[in-house]
Amino acid sequence: MTAIVAASALTRRYGEGDVAVDALAGIDIEFEAGRFAAIMGPSGSGKSTLMHLLAGLDRPTSGTVTLEGIELATLDDRALTILRREKVGFIFQTFNLLPILDARENITLPLSIAGNGADKAWFDRLIDTVGIRDRLHHRPAQLSGGQQQRVAVARALISRPAVVFADEPTGNLDSTAGGEVLDLLRRAVDDFGQTVVMVSHDAHAASHADRLIVLADGRVVHDGEALSADGVLDLMKSLKT
Amino acid sequence: MSRVVVRGFFARRLRAFLTGIAIALGVALMSGTYILTDTINHSFAAIFNTGARGRSVVVTPHQGLGSTAAVQTATINEATLAKVRKVPGVAVASGEVFTTVSLFADGKRLNKNAPSFVGSTLPARFENFSAVQGRLPSSGTEVAIDQATAQRYALKVGETLRVAGASAAVDYRIGGIVKFAGATSFGGAGVAVLTLPQAQRVASEPGAFDELVVAASPSVSDKDLRARIRAMLPRTLDVRTGLQEAAQQTSDLENQLGFLRTFLLIFAYVALFVGAFIIFNTFSITVAQRTREFGLLRMLGATRGQIVRSVVAEGVMLGLGGAILGLLGGLALAPGLDQLFKAFGADLPDSGTVIEFRTVWVSLLAGTVVTVIAGLLPALRASRVTPIAAMREGVSLTEKGVRSHMRRRIGIGVIVAAVLLRVVLELRSGAGIVTIVVIVAIVLLWRVPQSRARIKAAFSAVIVALARLLARPLELRGIVGRLARDNTIRHPGRTAATAMALMIGLALVSLISVLAAGTKASINNAIDASFAGDLILSNSSAAGNTGIPTEIPAAVRAIPGVSSVTAIAFTEGRVKGIGGNASITALDPASFSRVYRIDWDKGSNASLEGLGTTGTVLTKGFANAHHLHVGARLSVQTPSGQRVTLSVRGIATDNARLLADLTITLPLARTAFNQRTDAVDFVSYAPGVSNSQVQPTVNRLLAARFPQTQSQTAAQFKTSLGGQINSLLALIYVLLALSVIVSLFGIVNTLVLSIFERTRELGMLRAIGTTKRQVRQMIRYESVLTALVGGVLGIVLGIVIAAILAGTALSGSGFVFVVPPITMVVLFVLAGLAGLIAAAWPARRAASVDILAALATE
Repeated sequence: MTAIVAASALTRRYGEGDVAVDALAGIDIEFEAGRFAAIMGPSGSGKSTLMHLLAGLDRPTSGTVTLEGIELATLDDRALTILRREKVGFIFQTFNLLPILDARENITLPLSIAGNGADKAWFDRLIDTVGIRDRLHHRPAQLSGGQQQRVAVARALISRPAVVFADEPTGNLDSTAGGEVLDLLRRAVDDFGQTVVMVSHDAHAASHADRLIVLADGRVVHDGEALSADGVLDLMKSLKT
Repeated sequence: MSRVVVRGFFARRLRAFLTGIAIALGVALMSGTYILTDTINHSFAAIFNTGARGRSVVVTPHQGLGSTAAVQTATINEATLAKVRKVPGVAVASGEVFTTVSLFADGKRLNKNAPSFVGSTLPARFENFSAVQGRLPSSGTEVAIDQATAQRYALKVGETLRVAGASAAVDYRIGGIVKFAGATSFGGAGVAVLTLPQAQRVASEPGAFDELVVAASPSVSDKDLRARIRAMLPRTLDVRTGLQEAAQQTSDLENQLGFLRTFLLIFAYVALFVGAFIIFNTFSITVAQRTREFGLLRMLGATRGQIVRSVVAEGVMLGLGGAILGLLGGLALAPGLDQLFKAFGADLPDSGTVIEFRTVWVSLLAGTVVTVIAGLLPALRASRVTPIAAMREGVSLTEKGVRSHMRRRIGIGVIVAAVLLRVVLELRSGAGIVTIVVIVAIVLLWRVPQSRARIKAAFSAVIVALARLLARPLELRGIVGRLARDNTIRHPGRTAATAMALMIGLALVSLISVLAAGTKASINNAIDASFAGDLILSNSSAAGNTGIPTEIPAAVRAIPGVSSVTAIAFTEGRVKGIGGNASITALDPASFSRVYRIDWDKGSNASLEGLGTTGTVLTKGFANAHHLHVGARLSVQTPSGQRVTLSVRGIATDNARLLADLTITLPLARTAFNQRTDAVDFVSYAPGVSNSQVQPTVNRLLAARFPQTQSQTAAQFKTSLGGQINSLLALIYVLLALSVIVSLFGIVNTLVLSIFERTRELGMLRAIGTTKRQVRQMIRYESVLTALVGGVLGIVLGIVIAAILAGTALSGSGFVFVVPPITMVVLFVLAGLAGLIAAAWPARRAASVDILAALATE
């Protein structure tokens, strides 16, 4: 299988001198197309930092990130922005929908920014998949948290990005709504062949993935097939000791 | 608690700085005005004090109409001088002439932007001029010129200086370059020194003086001598010691320059008012954004009073900081204002920089008080935050809060606008009543809750509709334009307040441009309707009000093709029972009615011709204001203190404003009013003669004998009048620009605050692929949109107020309501540009948000 996103010898250091903290202490990792990977780890393990570097939101201290064969370090801000626009989808913990736009406009926002129109068939398929057809003209304030996050999932998928990064997508949702969003991500991988990388500290969320990566102190301490929720919890416990 | 305030203030120092600037600019204009006018006054005081040296007693004609009256003062005759010389204790007494003239060298008028004077030589003990080159004039063919003018025009001893006063111009040989004792600067003014007989000739005052100067014998004190001379002379003469005279001249001058101060201060108040708007808006937004902080403080036990005091204290610090900044700015601005006036034709002496204590405290007080008042409502709102708010998610106070105070804002806006109008336009009583009625109507409407709600909703709808309309072209710009539009109408109240700050300045610009266009049009109409002559002769410079010689009509009448010439002069008088000075037009009835059509209300041209020295014609406005009718008898005090009784023979309407409150005959003006020059001459040609046959000859005559005089056809006259209105307009625009700049800071402030609120949104937009350029564009569009909303509101408001004025205060005056379309388009474009400028920095700031940090903000 081909790697969509790859990182090699990736480090990220915050601060300088005595107060310097190595958030990432050298990571080599690849993400294959059409797979759902979950990155777990305790607070400060570097999982968010890794995701930010992979998505081109931050620059590494050393090492390289390649997205669809493009080395991110070679891109200036503008090129990087356009790369994010075309190749990367984002799902945030806090949804981050624009309150002044309705659901439909929020979904097509990445295309609008690029100055493109939406592919009607793809749009229809997406909104039916996420189940918000009857909410298209509602503003975020008129939607529940789960509905908002489903809109956000549709927004992440609308431009058929090479990879979708989800940062604690269920962190602000109750278990029912969270479960729906995880199912959606699963379907995006299974039905649309989408590549998804999710950062989470929720064992239940991680159990939806194909692959589980665990980080601790800026290093990969586990990389293997996905486990059940209980399996994940056991693994985490064993890693702690 | 106070530590929280101080810490908070400095934590938000950027915002504090931006808001402080809003107040600082107004304060700067205020303190700059005081500094400039004080400096001018002190410079003159220094000149006058130097001039008083060696003078024990000074005798001058009494200015019965006050020092600001535009009249020629009486002169003092030789008999009076002889009488003074006989007073015991007088060592030396001399008469001197000091008069405004026009100076020419090589056919070029000198010091066009300031008056030029002629002074007569005096005995050595009184002489204030000393030669730096050559000597003071000793013969009738010599003149001495002041050093500054000589340097300005590279004049040298031996060259010719032409002096044009109240009679035909005379050429003199420059015999010396002189400086005034103490080398004080006269600003742009020039002084030529002639021998006494020559000065009298130039001033058309043979055997007369403008002033007597007296030196006391060593045994007599100045005070005693003054008392002795006072006892000898009539009340039409003022007798002062040298020092008293200098003090009097200084205070007269302060009165005369008072208008300058008032004029400038009006613009400072406008700028302060706009600044207050911005402070109010900024405080409203920040209080809303800090709801949780206030809730937390309340939860920790802070009382409502403490919250109010903390916000007010912030206002005090901000206001004081802004005022101090403004005071320093005023120091820098004062020379700028001076240059501005020089550019617009008023070059006044100003040596050094005078900062009175009054300037300091007035500026600091004004800045602080305005800021505190503007911040009071938001402070009260902050105090209503409940402790629970600390735990609530998000900010919900904004919208409701801003809207509920909109009415107060509008109410205050209307009242202040009305007050400003009164000040700016000196409305007549009729308009005053209309203004009051309008205000009362608005206040009453506010009292009815339904209508209040409806007006508020309507206003909000207007802002939103206007923004949507103006955003039409933005829709072509895709999502960025769309986002900009929706962000602008997201908080209609906030956009309204920001736009209204700009609106105030632009409304005044638009109002004044409409009034100016209307004034031009109405004067043009009036000239077309009334003036039947062919040429208008007048002084080519307004500086110094020198008028034109009375010898001109006779000289021009001799030119072939000229059928008649009539002279018109202006003076003033005080009518018994009526406050203030009445303006008076003096003319020659017989020849006047041949070139000028009078719109008679009562009477006819025959009444004019029968005026003699006992009759007068009133304008309708004056007659109505003071309930005067034909047959009424007026007791009028002349500039020289005489009283004449005039009976009203007719009442006329004159939209060209040539006829003043009273119209009298020239012979009366020459005698009782001692008017020695004319203001204009009207020339009419014989039938069948073309302008090209006569005007060149007239111009040759004027150039040869009366170089200060220009001839203009009615069309040329209208053009030059239009030019004068335009240059006044330009001055007003420059001064109003400050208010517009203040409102720019308001836009910057609002943008920065709303960007701050939307940090996470911006982070998300950047994360999902919005380029920095697109973010900058979005902010720029928002800014331009807000500015255009303010621009359109301002332009429309200005036009509406002008229309109301045209229908009330100015109705019946022949005022033509015209909207100058180009000016309005330019204003609109300028408003947009202003928005673009205001957005420059906020846009960069928004584009450079750190994506990760922004996404992490709550």
